[in-house]
Amino acid sequence: MKKNSIKKETLHEVTFTLNGKKVTCKIKGATVLLDLIRDVFDLKGTKSGCNEGECGACTVLVNGAPVNSCLYLAINANGKQIETIEGLIGHDGTLHPVQDSLVQSGAVQCGFCTSGMAMAIKSMVDLYETGQHVPGDIRTELPSRDEIKKYLEGNLCRCTGYVKIIDAAEKLFAKEDCR
Amino acid sequence: MNFEIISPTTTDELLVAIEKCQNRHFRFGAGCTDLLMELKKNPADDLTVINLAQVVDDRLTNLTKTSKLYRLGSMFTAGRIVVNDELKTHFPVLHESAHNLASTQIRQVATVGGNLCTASPSGDIACALVALGARCEMLNTNGKSRSVAVTDFFTGPRKTVLKSNEVLYGISVPLNNKETAKIYSRFIKIGTRRSMECSVVSLACHIQTDAKGVILAAGVAIGASAPTIRLAKDACSSLIGKTFKKITRKEKEEFAATVLSYASPITDIRATAWYRKEVLFNISKSIFE
Amino acid sequence: MKKELKVIGQPIPKQDANIRASGKAIYGHDIVLPGMLYGAILRTEHPSAIIESIDVSEALKLPGVVCVITADDVDVNNIGYKRDHPILKKGEACCTRDELAAVAAETKAIARQALKLIKVKYKVRKGVYDAFEALEDSAPQINQFITGKFENKNIAEKFQYGHGNLEEEKKRSRHIISRRFTLPRMTHACMATSNITASYNNLDKKLLLYSSTQVPFLYQRDMAHALKINPSDIRVIQPVIGGGFGSKLDMHPFEPICALLSMKTGRPVQIIYSREEEFIASPIRQPMIIDLTAGVDKDGHFTFREINIIKDNGAYTSWGATTPFVIMQSFSSLYKVKACSFNAMAVYTNNVFAGSFRGYGNPQATFALERVIDLLADELGMDKAGIRLLNANEKGEITGQGLHYDTCGHKECLETVIEKSNYFNHKTSGKNDRYKRGIGLASMLHVGGGAKIYRSDGCGTTLKIDPYGYCTIITGSNEIGQGSETVLAMMAAEELGIELKKIKVINTDTDVKPWDVGVHASRTSFVAGNSLLGAIRLLKEKLNSKAAQLLNIKDADFEYADNKLISGKSGERIALDKVVREMHFSEPNELAIASFFYEPSSKFQDKEFKGNVSGTYAFAAQSIEVEVDTYTGNVQVLDIYVAQDVGKVLNPLLLGGQIEGGIMQGVGYALSEELLMHEGRILNPNFHNYKMLTASDTPEIHFYPVETHDKEGPYGAKGVGEAPLIPTAAAIANAVCNALGLEMLELPITPEKVLKALDDKKKRKK
Repeated sequence: MKKNSIKKETLHEVTFTLNGKKVTCKIKGATVLLDLIRDVFDLKGTKSGCNEGECGACTVLVNGAPVNSCLYLAINANGKQIETIEGLIGHDGTLHPVQDSLVQSGAVQCGFCTSGMAMAIKSMVDLYETGQHVPGDIRTELPSRDEIKKYLEGNLCRCTGYVKIIDAAEKLFAKEDCR
Repeated sequence: MNFEIISPTTTDELLVAIEKCQNRHFRFGAGCTDLLMELKKNPADDLTVINLAQVVDDRLTNLTKTSKLYRLGSMFTAGRIVVNDELKTHFPVLHESAHNLASTQIRQVATVGGNLCTASPSGDIACALVALGARCEMLNTNGKSRSVAVTDFFTGPRKTVLKSNEVLYGISVPLNNKETAKIYSRFIKIGTRRSMECSVVSLACHIQTDAKGVILAAGVAIGASAPTIRLAKDACSSLIGKTFKKITRKEKEEFAATVLSYASPITDIRATAWYRKEVLFNISKSIFE
Repeated sequence: MKKELKVIGQPIPKQDANIRASGKAIYGHDIVLPGMLYGAILRTEHPSAIIESIDVSEALKLPGVVCVITADDVDVNNIGYKRDHPILKKGEACCTRDELAAVAAETKAIARQALKLIKVKYKVRKGVYDAFEALEDSAPQINQFITGKFENKNIAEKFQYGHGNLEEEKKRSRHIISRRFTLPRMTHACMATSNITASYNNLDKKLLLYSSTQVPFLYQRDMAHALKINPSDIRVIQPVIGGGFGSKLDMHPFEPICALLSMKTGRPVQIIYSREEEFIASPIRQPMIIDLTAGVDKDGHFTFREINIIKDNGAYTSWGATTPFVIMQSFSSLYKVKACSFNAMAVYTNNVFAGSFRGYGNPQATFALERVIDLLADELGMDKAGIRLLNANEKGEITGQGLHYDTCGHKECLETVIEKSNYFNHKTSGKNDRYKRGIGLASMLHVGGGAKIYRSDGCGTTLKIDPYGYCTIITGSNEIGQGSETVLAMMAAEELGIELKKIKVINTDTDVKPWDVGVHASRTSFVAGNSLLGAIRLLKEKLNSKAAQLLNIKDADFEYADNKLISGKSGERIALDKVVREMHFSEPNELAIASFFYEPSSKFQDKEFKGNVSGTYAFAAQSIEVEVDTYTGNVQVLDIYVAQDVGKVLNPLLLGGQIEGGIMQGVGYALSEELLMHEGRILNPNFHNYKMLTASDTPEIHFYPVETHDKEGPYGAKGVGEAPLIPTAAAIANAVCNALGLEMLELPITPEKVLKALDDKKKRKK
């Protein structure tokens, strides 16, 4: 082994908001957000499905945008708002409307993709609520089924064939007060 | 996977960091999606990553417009291209290429600069930028900048003209012709699935016509068909002066054959060279259909 | 039976969906035990090589490494039903998955780094990667552990079956079609990669395994045999399972390896596959070459089928080798056919070995059969719907193989999809010449009431009601995401008149739950459901007699509703919890508990593979419309119409989920999914190049359940899990061929294959 490969690594301090709470920790430069969330903060709801950005199971929201936490450097979480599946559920244990819609629509089978799926759907709902989903003026109509499919393209699911997941998102938009 | 990371917060700090790394093995990290995937598979020893994500500099991260061009900072993300109205109106091919890149999640972090510097022959945004005649602006550690056409930026698969003391700073896209009345734009990405694909073949075209439909300017680029993304120059120039809607079947096929002459595809696990050529010919024709 | 159902038939969400959707469900990936080590496995660099030496000394020196094992360090038995598979390989490597050494270390990173320090000396040899080549005399013997039961050293398994007079039927045939079909390697790609956590207690010599197996009791036995310990000293607990689909039917080497690492170190050890490892080392759908010759008489009746199948077994034998059990059923008994001659063999190669996969050989068989039916119809000039309806299976039929169709919705399924898909008037052209549209039909037959392949196909249930009126179902069956817990809870709610929230299902612990053969063969709702209903019957007898005594009435015929027992005659009522309390706390003090073991009426097949192997049979038909882009070869699936004989809809929401999920796996099998191999190595071990379909590829799926009310099934229900994916690839292939006027003999039908076929057709015309 080369001598310099066992040298002490520099640790970097990062401070960010995790599910509404300010947190600070010291990490290695190469730490990815997924490992930080699961192993350091012990939030096991975010899943590692492929660890290479292909399956979306590890989707979390960074400043509201869905990202694959397996391909996101934890150091870049500094100063940002990070939301994970654990942040969706209410303090009294009520499911977030996104989670509830997934449950009621029969969109959960093995459930391993569900956390990532829920976060992606939540970000889509938020985008529509704020009108940031498409270029130009705020649209009035609800997203089409095809737009929902396109938005969820980065979240693989092996159990459901996606139909009920798309249903769950569609129902949610129908319910939401989307302008 | 292990590396040291430097996270400059200003462009000056960035240039100092690059200078400091001249004798080290270093890589830039922009959206880091390609970089992390690569490093997870093939960890590199003694690597330093210069993290561009925390640099605060409008020139690096934002979109600006001058009388001649739109300039995208190299850290402008695919996701921001997708939701940008002006870009969609003026350069629909750029919008489409960004919209077809990987997945919703990847687009939030993947950057224009990253897509170019990865220099993949199948880069989506890169292909559109070649069709648009965009230029790359590079900044060196002395604070001097130079620019090259995107077409000339690539020297081979995963190879660019970027020198070790340079960083890709921004990309400028020339404004459309003043007389342009209509844009015929296509971003055609061939793969097995509708999403999450790396092109088997891609074609980007940006054709401007006047009010009568006469072609004023044309940019046609092909991806995953040669060691680098290529601009089908002769195919483009063959179109000038023709009326888009009156292009004959024969002209269409000649055009497709000319586009094909720029291709030297390989056979790999995703497709054979035969398939790539066949499809490239067909989709080139399809621009006019 | 006639009574109106209140819970059964309702679209009730999965009872455990909320815990899964909240991120609180604990999968194998989420388990952390005190003192736990992380295991990692070194696999061979070469698919076929002599292993001259393995030097682990450098790995052992790495700080944080606790244990390194190779075959030399362990005393174990081979695994697999043929016992032809060593857990750790010694002397030679026979396929790319081969496990040579394993490490347990304090962190995942150290374990991975230690693997790189293990030095293996290989003498690379030429491998055999083609089944036909393996059958040649000159081929070496690939697996050294087989007993030589068959005529060729590389035959792992053989199946022969026949009925009817083949020669006579051949003579009688107006048209005969012969084709060779090639089926690819597909993999399960469960969203959670394979995982296990083993915790050996060296004080009492007991082994606790947190395992995702689908068959915990068979697994317990197999594990005990492998490790040479007592099965009862192994406790298997199933954490929440992130996808099964048949992949967890076999026990795989990493599982006993993890147990061995725990036994050696006395500490818990966890192994979680990376996605790449999952693609390389988890099971696949068995690849095969099917030669099918089939005939039809002048009126369109099927006369005979002659089948020869060569399956690439890979280097070791898994349950995948036994798929001909199912394959032959489709050839012998899907549509009426006078004669059938079936031969299949699994041949050892240096490729990766298969496993079981939802459908168990049936998607392969159905693809070949339904393709040939289209060709026969073309030869006869008969329409493709008509020929299927003419030959469709019927209620009361006993097939040549001895399957009893006590109920049969085959014809109704076909009629439904033909009508709903507007089969006879579908569009033939797309928006312009570039796009061609086509429609394809296929149907399927599959076991719908378990499959008697083990000594018992049964399931045990223990049911108890507590003094507060809550019910606990302790079932042998298990939940792998399909919703079996919910369906069982619904049955208990229906029968006992209590709310779902008062019902708990315990199903994850072999120390607690009664025996069951496992989740496979679409059997869980059927077998575990019947088992539960049996236990409910027994428990009700006890409750009824206590209630009658408490109410001081003679009649013990009670209805159960609103947490009460209501006398059928007098209408007098008493609370269920009160009855239970009185049972418990007043003389003669007995428990409100009952146990029942249900064994389906199915029979073992005889040596000729004849016999009624399942409690009932499921049928389905699909009609699928596609649009083919002749410029690119891309096939877009537009609409899928599916009708399935499910016996009775127990829960339409969960049923729909099984149908849609199955179909999308079928679409992937048809169009995009293939594990590519070259000389024994997997070329696309990632989601990037293994093309699992995404949400944006999802077609519209129109599902029409057909209810035939099978008297054997719980409320008349049949198994549903595997059926939806079985005819999908066949129907898509038929639709593509219909659109383009050419033949596709191979799956998946990739864009390149379509364009090649079009090119060949053009060349032939010239």
